[in-house]
Amino acid sequence: MPFDVLARILGPLRRPIVSSRYPAEPPLLAPAVRGLPELDPARCTREAACVAVCPTGALALGEEDWSIDVGRCVFCAACAQACPTGAIRLGSRVELAARSREALILTTRLEARR
Amino acid sequence: MDELNERPADEQPAGERLAGESPGGERPAVGLEAYPADADGVRHLPPAALATVAGGLVEHGARLVMVVGLDLSGLDGAAGGAAGATAGAPAATRAAAAGATAAARATAAARAPAGLAVEVVLGLPDGELARLRAAVPADEPAYPSLTPILPAAQWDEREIHDLLGIEPTGHPDLRPLVLHELADLPAYPLRKRRPTKPAASEPATEPATEPASEPATEPGGAPAGQPPPVRPFRPFVAHGEGVYQLPVGPIHAGVIEPGHFRFSAVGESVLYLDARLFYTHRGLERLVEGRSFERALPIVERACGVCTVTHALAYSRAVEQLTGTEVPPRARFARVLLAELERLYNHVGDLGNICAGVGFHFGTSQLGWQKERLLRVNEALTGHRYLTGVVAPGGLRADLPGPVLAELGATVDGIAHDVRGLVRALLRSEGLMSRLHGTGIVSRELAERLGAVGVAARASGLAHDLRRDRPYEAYPELDLPLVTMTAGDVAARFHVRAQELAASAAIVRDLAGRLPPGPWREPLAELPPAGRSAVAGVEGPRGPSWLWLMAGPDGSVERLHLRSASFANWPVVAAAVPGNLVPDFPLINKSFELCYACTDR
Repeated sequence: MPFDVLARILGPLRRPIVSSRYPAEPPLLAPAVRGLPELDPARCTREAACVAVCPTGALALGEEDWSIDVGRCVFCAACAQACPTGAIRLGSRVELAARSREALILTTRLEARR
Repeated sequence: MDELNERPADEQPAGERLAGESPGGERPAVGLEAYPADADGVRHLPPAALATVAGGLVEHGARLVMVVGLDLSGLDGAAGGAAGATAGAPAATRAAAAGATAAARATAAARAPAGLAVEVVLGLPDGELARLRAAVPADEPAYPSLTPILPAAQWDEREIHDLLGIEPTGHPDLRPLVLHELADLPAYPLRKRRPTKPAASEPATEPATEPASEPATEPGGAPAGQPPPVRPFRPFVAHGEGVYQLPVGPIHAGVIEPGHFRFSAVGESVLYLDARLFYTHRGLERLVEGRSFERALPIVERACGVCTVTHALAYSRAVEQLTGTEVPPRARFARVLLAELERLYNHVGDLGNICAGVGFHFGTSQLGWQKERLLRVNEALTGHRYLTGVVAPGGLRADLPGPVLAELGATVDGIAHDVRGLVRALLRSEGLMSRLHGTGIVSRELAERLGAVGVAARASGLAHDLRRDRPYEAYPELDLPLVTMTAGDVAARFHVRAQELAASAAIVRDLAGRLPPGPWREPLAELPPAGRSAVAGVEGPRGPSWLWLMAGPDGSVERLHLRSASFANWPVVAAAVPGNLVPDFPLINKSFELCYACTDR
């Protein structure tokens, strides 16, 4: 007789809640999680090493801004590793859904050229 | 453990294992010697000799690794210069090339890359690989099919026929496999489309771009510029009084991948099953061509979602072989740790899915929760629940965080303990086990003939495990139990997984506590000359993934072929179903738990 099946069905009644209250509360993420690549404009030297290394062509560097296409990014962190000044890091933003294709392209304004 | 039909590995005849006890000693005389191996270990044969030599090796216990189709015309310009000027130095310094004679290297350099070719890779009983390559004529690309002597090659050859337009003459079933009717292609997908490149870099006598002297009516005869003919797919069905067709898919009830299954059934009994896959073919192998080794990695790694470490590791090992890169000890051990974490969450999830196959939701939800715990361990350790972005050519992309490693052993131990308790409960549930026993039987003979791999092979009594047969990374230093069963049914595949995951948990616990300190990544030693190729295999949760990689100019990918364990096992699934009830199909399917994405690529 599968008594242990019964025990395993009843046992969890004594267990506290193991799920989180997402989305009412922010998601529980491990510190190592690779979210949206973010650029620190103050450290960007416009060498475009990130653009060259991106395997999906998600990054673009313009005259005034740096943009990332979240619809293409696979969060591989190659850009962060390639950046000579360490200006890119993969942050903890993971809620990246948008209502239109264009809204998936996120732009960061670069500092004016000195 | 009453009905386990267990048989310890030691009872297996030694000759059944890829890794024999007498390395190199007693090579069968099948005419291999007539074709000396070049620096990559490739033996060049005339097409007519391919089946004879391969057949001789198979008779002496060789198993199919893969058949790969090649279009080497892209190398004509590059290889001449690269092989002549720069090939000598790196090849001489490479440890792997030490055994190769100067004559063999000279042969390799002097060999003019031809147009189309096929290469069959066989695993010999002593653990070595035999690579047999045959150039096929460009005007009439065909070679005698290997499938009649080596049924495991059936899909490989159909894929080559579809994507390169090379015809395996005498293949019993040349229906389209990868290409569906809707495919509107300007040319065979894996042929080099030379006209798009600047004309200056091309030799004038490029055979593949020569205009066809006659309209391409033969499936294999169309030149590169011609589209492959659209051929409708007709499923094989059984006919007779009371036999009806049951089409299932490609869209299924559930968030699962697409595949079309055509049952020929009488009442509830399946007479025949024909499966049609490749709905998720993304042209991955074409996509990576011309990319640098570094930029190709994220694509290969994502061939499917649940074997990322396996694929990234197979790719990295092929790149390391080509570049002569020595991976630092910390990375060698960490890679094994990651590979076993991957096996662990897959096996736990697969046991849960077997329960789902019979509607036993207690097991599904409980094991689903244990899998979720393992995914969270993955996330804490690597930043990714499915372990992408860690393994890279040369070692690891990032070091594993020390604080997480410190707790890893205890955490995984706890999960393994809970899983063990659950499995015990499942084994005592008669309603569940009566559905698993005797369902979806794959006999040892069938498994051998169709080239079953991984869990499916071991559950049918074949003692194949790359981690033991061709140990890589840190596996030679680990004591790894080989789990085999003989029943070959769903229950046997259940047991193999349950025992393997316990072993994986033990390895994780062991390695987490003793990862050697030091660097975790080594820069790639030397870029290989264009035209060099390597084959690497890694035992993933479903079996071995084999990756074939050829270097192009300047450290780029010239050709990549991935033969996943799922690709090898799908024909076995189709053969396991006849004789069972239609409603048992989901259960049988889930007991193999094959991946569509890395089959389709």
